[in-house]
Amino acid sequence: MIQKKICMVGVYGTGKTCLVQQFVHSIFSVKYLSTVGVKIDRKQVKVGDEDVTLLLWDLEGRDGTRDITPSYIRGAHGIIYVADGTRRETVDQLSDIRTLVTDALGPIPSIIALNKVDLTDEWKLSESDEKSAGGEGVHRLRTSAKTGEGVEAAFQWLAEATMANPGNTR
Amino acid sequence: MIIEPSSGDTNGESSLAEFDTLRRLLVGPEQSRIEELSDEIESKQVTAEDLADKLPEAIALRAGRDDHLGRALGPTFETAMRESIRRHPDEMAAAIFPVLGPAIRKSIAETMAALVRSINTAVEQSLSINGLKWRIESWRTGVPYPEIVIKHALVYRVEQAFLIHTETGILLEHVSAPDVNVADADLISGMMSAIQDFVHDSFRPAEGGRLRTFSVGEHTVQVEAGPRALLALVIRGQAPDTLLQKQQDTLETIHLEFANQLAEFSGDSVEFAAARPLLESCLETVVSTDNAGEKGRLVWMKWALPVFLIAAVIAGFWIRSNMRWNRSLAALRAEPGIVVVDASRGWSRWNISGLKDPIARQPEAVISSSGISSPPIVGRWEPYLSLDPSLVALRARHSLDSLTSFIDNERIMFDAGSAELNPGALATLAGIVGSVSRLDAAAAASGGNVKLQLTGRTDPSGADETNAALAERRVDAVAKWLSSIGIDPSRLVRNPVATSSPLEAGDPAERARINRSVSFKVQATTAQATPGGQQ
Repeated sequence: MIQKKICMVGVYGTGKTCLVQQFVHSIFSVKYLSTVGVKIDRKQVKVGDEDVTLLLWDLEGRDGTRDITPSYIRGAHGIIYVADGTRRETVDQLSDIRTLVTDALGPIPSIIALNKVDLTDEWKLSESDEKSAGGEGVHRLRTSAKTGEGVEAAFQWLAEATMANPGNTR
Repeated sequence: MIIEPSSGDTNGESSLAEFDTLRRLLVGPEQSRIEELSDEIESKQVTAEDLADKLPEAIALRAGRDDHLGRALGPTFETAMRESIRRHPDEMAAAIFPVLGPAIRKSIAETMAALVRSINTAVEQSLSINGLKWRIESWRTGVPYPEIVIKHALVYRVEQAFLIHTETGILLEHVSAPDVNVADADLISGMMSAIQDFVHDSFRPAEGGRLRTFSVGEHTVQVEAGPRALLALVIRGQAPDTLLQKQQDTLETIHLEFANQLAEFSGDSVEFAAARPLLESCLETVVSTDNAGEKGRLVWMKWALPVFLIAAVIAGFWIRSNMRWNRSLAALRAEPGIVVVDASRGWSRWNISGLKDPIARQPEAVISSSGISSPPIVGRWEPYLSLDPSLVALRARHSLDSLTSFIDNERIMFDAGSAELNPGALATLAGIVGSVSRLDAAAAASGGNVKLQLTGRTDPSGADETNAALAERRVDAVAKWLSSIGIDPSRLVRNPVATSSPLEAGDPAERARINRSVSFKVQATTAQATPGGQQ
């Protein structure tokens, strides 16, 4: 069985937890996030013929970037960055967060979820904003926790990326 | 067909060329074939020579391409191996010994340990009073017996073992006790390592320590961290230090055996299925009958043997001493002339008191003659006269003996050539008479009778006929005197020997004097022949 550690990071209030809640298997309550600072869920995907278990480490989102606990992202095979498309600053902070993560882990498969795409009226990002969000060398997707748009695709993409990543597969 | 070249000058050259063409037409194919073959042979030789250089490379190339080479070589290797083992079994054994030895030892040790454990548990639980009580409780409450045992006797039980990749928190392998259901071990594993990190990050221990144990209700999670993997045991109850040791050993073994897989881990945990047996060896259940009970039993066992031996020795001594005492008393009570009145036994001496006939045997002699070695016997023996028939007879025999020896030593002396009883002879006879009558009484008491032999002698001087007559007269004189005082003549045995068996003495004169005599020999016949009577 193949298992991959995926970390979900993002500023507080970007809907990280809501984003995955209905798509994953969870046994721990949301309280863990505010207590331990992390909550782990499981998501099963199929890459080719292979079943891949994504262990999603939902890291507590806080304001400011320095608070990402390095121990929690250690050894991660892939990262999901979550930003709130209705709050520009959460997108702006992505670059800093990415730098932090990349410094710790090196280049690893990553995806940016631009969340709350269902709130079209409040959407603050232009097309070029979306293309440049989070800097270079990262895959981006619009997602909605409410409609489920982009969520499965994000998992699928990341699973395939981690399986294809030479640094992570033997 | 034979073609002769024509020898004409004019057409000589052209005919030579024609001949050449003809030859090519006829034997050309064969010739070129011969050249090909010769090339082939040459090139073959070259390949064979180069083979040594190219072989390793060739093998590597082919092996990288597919597994045909392996399949092709397989049977050859097997044959070679078989042949090699057949020829040099010792060398083969020596080569694989370092691998086989430890494996066999380990396997045997584990099998034995498991066997001992299961026997212990089975015996303890089925035979102990607790076992019985718990069975009754199980029957009464309807709760299965194993649960009752666990409820009462569980010291600890390792219910789950998680092998976790340190860096990613991904579960590499997980085992659990048969009746423990754990879903989502992978999530728990992740959360467990997250909590480890959380605790570490929160308290930042100076030496980089980690969260090693945490307790929830009756469960304790004991986490042992290695460089690349964590081994977490979920324990119910109170685990001993030995479990931690075992946990550390297991983790070390896993690091050793799965060094590469751990170093290159990228999420595929399939290879760690081989670690299951190692993890399963950590799942142990110890009930108090195994643990405390075992300790108790071991302590008991440790003392039991010496105590038993000492008790056996003491008991042995006591029984032996008792038997000796009883046999000794029985021997004393059976002994004529001894009456045991009071007897008490001490460790170092026996106190026995009573009545004892003076002629009875000494108590010590009675006991030792029954083959018993006794401690010293102290006590007071009052003299008494036993009427036991054997003692009466013995007493009679004693007096008979003393009388006999008294009489035997008496001699009636005569003057030279005379058979007259002189005053000295009469006095001696008078002294004997009392003894003879007492002899009769004693003989009668011991159930027999007495005859008195009278041996008449003379000194060697004079003719033999004279001496024989003299000896006879001397015997007559004594017999007549004895008859005259009432001794039955039939009890007197006449034995005039004259000079034929003289009494010996150093001095010739003294010898002559003592042989002018009649001497006595008591011939006693008793119910039991006495030594005295045989003389």
